[in-house]
Amino acid sequence: MNAMIDDETLDRQLREAALYIDDEGFTERVMARLPAARREPRWLRAMILLGLTLLGSGIAYLLSGGGRFVREGMIQLSDFPIWLLLVFAFGCGLVVGAFAVIVAVRKTPEVRDIARLRF
Amino acid sequence: MELTDADLIARVLVDDDQHAFGELVRRHQSSVRGVLRQLTRTDIALADDLAQETFLRAYKNIRSFRGEARFSTWLYRIAYNCFREDARKRKELVGVDEEQLQAEHDPQTIDPGLRHDLMHALNRLPLNERTAVVLCCQNGLSHDEAARVLDIPLGTVKTNVLRGREKLKRTLAAWGPN
Repeated sequence: MNAMIDDETLDRQLREAALYIDDEGFTERVMARLPAARREPRWLRAMILLGLTLLGSGIAYLLSGGGRFVREGMIQLSDFPIWLLLVFAFGCGLVVGAFAVIVAVRKTPEVRDIARLRF
Repeated sequence: MELTDADLIARVLVDDDQHAFGELVRRHQSSVRGVLRQLTRTDIALADDLAQETFLRAYKNIRSFRGEARFSTWLYRIAYNCFREDARKRKELVGVDEEQLQAEHDPQTIDPGLRHDLMHALNRLPLNERTAVVLCCQNGLSHDEAARVLDIPLGTVKTNVLRGREKLKRTLAAWGPN
């Protein structure tokens, strides 16, 4: 019996032995068997979303007494010192930024997997 | 710039873009068909039928792909499920045909080419070890990913890879030129 090869050599030989399989019409055969695509036009979905948004905004405006609380809030804000407004804006930016980073990391496997790496 | 798998999947999800799905099929057909050929012991026609079924199921269930694993890992899992269902239908119990295969593959008659030897040695492994070796050693999946594809514990995958590797090495050493 000959000497046994090591794991690394075996894995490399296995990878090299796995030849690329030419498509040769495979993709076309799969595509021919796919169920028909949804025919709903994109503009219709966009219009529905826009319509619902406008309707929701209109209802909120009416229920809030013609947006009175917004005007009152703006007047109160204008009385605040400028440094307080800057701190408030900066804080809002930090919260939104942190939220965006968390969502991006959760939705990106390549980034998320970095946390699992062992050094 | 070439679109990533994630971009193409997004197009399928948002626009039901079948061309985008076609590109995904083109990208992954070789690896999926390759794995299925190993599982079916190089029955090319059966492997390609199962590969077609794999991609059809992937299209129908693409909304359940949450991006937690690589798209290829998700495809391997569907492919393995298709293979198992087909094997069940054909009443082929996993691993019971090992003795028959031992008889079919006489080492004395094996082609001396390395690739040929490797493929034959691989085909002689029991299904669980062969699948683990094909996924981890040949297709570069981590043990964790293979455990998810095969729906078995991580420790079992590691054991199967270890045993499969050792058997392959012993077989190749026995067949090698003296």
